[in-house]
Amino acid sequence: MSAPAVSVEGVSLRVGAFALRDISFSLAAGETFVILGPSGAGKSLLLETLAGFYRPSSGRILIGGRDLTEAPPEARRIAFMFQDYALFPHLTVAQNVAFGLRFSPRRKGAEPLDALLARLGLEHLGARKPMHLSGGEQQRVALARALAMDPTLFLFDEPLSALDARSRDTLRSELKTFLNRAGVPAIYVTHDQLEALALADKMAVMKDGALLQTGCPAEIFNAPASEAVANFVGVETVLEGKVLSVSDGMAAISVASQVLHVLANDAAKPNASVLACIRPEDVALARTTHPGSSVRNQFQARVTAVAAAGPLFKISLDAGFPLVAYVSKQSYLELGLAPGADLIASVKATAVHLIGRAS
Amino acid sequence: MGSEPTRRQHYAQPRGLMLVFSLVGGLLLLFIALPLLRLFGAQSAASLMRVAAMAEVRSSILLSVEAALLTTVGAALLGVPLAYLLARSSFRGKGLVEAIVDLPLAVPHTVVGIALLFVFGRTGIIGAPISALTGYQFWGSAGGIVIAMLYVSVTYTVNAARVGFEAVDPRLEKVARTLGAGRWAVFLQVSLPLAARGILTGLTLTFARSISEFGSVIVLTYYPMTAPVKIYDLFLQFGLGDSSAMAALFLAVTLSLFVLFRFLFSPRRDAEKRRG
Repeated sequence: MSAPAVSVEGVSLRVGAFALRDISFSLAAGETFVILGPSGAGKSLLLETLAGFYRPSSGRILIGGRDLTEAPPEARRIAFMFQDYALFPHLTVAQNVAFGLRFSPRRKGAEPLDALLARLGLEHLGARKPMHLSGGEQQRVALARALAMDPTLFLFDEPLSALDARSRDTLRSELKTFLNRAGVPAIYVTHDQLEALALADKMAVMKDGALLQTGCPAEIFNAPASEAVANFVGVETVLEGKVLSVSDGMAAISVASQVLHVLANDAAKPNASVLACIRPEDVALARTTHPGSSVRNQFQARVTAVAAAGPLFKISLDAGFPLVAYVSKQSYLELGLAPGADLIASVKATAVHLIGRAS
Repeated sequence: MGSEPTRRQHYAQPRGLMLVFSLVGGLLLLFIALPLLRLFGAQSAASLMRVAAMAEVRSSILLSVEAALLTTVGAALLGVPLAYLLARSSFRGKGLVEAIVDLPLAVPHTVVGIALLFVFGRTGIIGAPISALTGYQFWGSAGGIVIAMLYVSVTYTVNAARVGFEAVDPRLEKVARTLGAGRWAVFLQVSLPLAARGILTGLTLTFARSISEFGSVIVLTYYPMTAPVKIYDLFLQFGLGDSSAMAALFLAVTLSLFVLFRFLFSPRRDAEKRRG
């Protein structure tokens, strides 16, 4: 096995109120590493330290086998994508994209800038100023500007968090396609769980400057290693599944031994691997099935654990797959929810969110 | 149709507060403009021509313009670096630095002139050794004029340039560095062009303040005479007639330069919108 493309070893640092505590991870070529964490966790500080704006008090940063711990940002060839893309407002699209070439000559055999602009669908925008571009175009200009310098690593600092829900979905899938094709390792920080699930080959949960758990997305969501991780990611049931069929806007997904009927989206292509995500407040519990109910997914389920969660109760179930529900205190008492109790768990087809997996 | 006239009425007929403020504002504008208009109005073509024909008058106006331009260049070279530091870094004693920058605004200009004599004058701590070493004297030379002008006007450049730099998103500078630009390149190719309008606004104010300076210049350097000094000289020697004619002439020159700079460097709307 070859050496990892990116290797971060025990990086620690304190800057004002923020700190990084013994951060270690490694990335293979082309891998996307998503760091999920609440604001204030130190995610941005970690990215800026990797980019060279802060010097770790201990630890090493190796990229492509080179030790870059002491190198200034301009010597690292690490592309940084900020939330609003930070395009230079005084330069045209073409000048933005060519900015990095003012300081280092193009690698021999590199893709010509024209071709790069064309590949990202920007060829007709070269003379425009960034302020006249849509959000999607701005993202592509920022990606092209970063690609032109032939980066060894991409860093993304919540690039989608300022957008409305619809553009976020569109840009997220554009970004995913881009990352799959670029073959450059990427570190992506976010507080959005869906974003993490959609983009991550590998992910970690970060809190108070430390990576609490690192692993593949399903592992972290379904088998949180600590209470802190569970508290942060535990709001979703995330199930690995396969699309069986798609028709009339509905998709049938096999999950463990069960079949979920869900509203089809872009990810619902026959035979595709998907993650099915269900929020606990969308899971309804009852003693018996309602014959006339329009709810598509009804499962026989057994309670495996009960825990108080603020004013609600968090009920862990085995429905042929792990499932988490939130119920009110009243329902909790009426249904007699205790470990071992048998119930019917139902989930509306519209309450299941499908996320495509790179297969 | 229905809402249009109402809306127009709403904007077109200021009532109450807006009306009172408009009247007060109008009075203030009149207060500023009236003396200058009267100064122009009181001149006869004959006296203007006569004064304009005097070689000393023309050379003093030219000297004022040259010295003010030189001062503006000096303010750019000395003021912009400090403005960038103040905009981008926090350090111990920053409040003191800011107070020192603003200090010239609070010192009477005659006092500035006297204080400058102690440094750049015949026996001044800089003036004396430079005079001894090179023979150059700040008194009685354009150098003294520029120094007096710079002292009273550089504040405007530092403060306006600082506001300009503060409006530049630090992430633009960071992203430039990740793209391979060193600190100097980032400053020259990203920060400076994006702060240009703020800097030029400050330089315009510095120029205007310099060319109109009288008190500190006359104390430090009576000769060669700048236009304000020459006007005062004419006033003392010949009264209001010639001095007011020259005043009108000089005012026409400074106002046209000021209007020209304002026109060239005023923030355009599209540039403002996306400065961050």
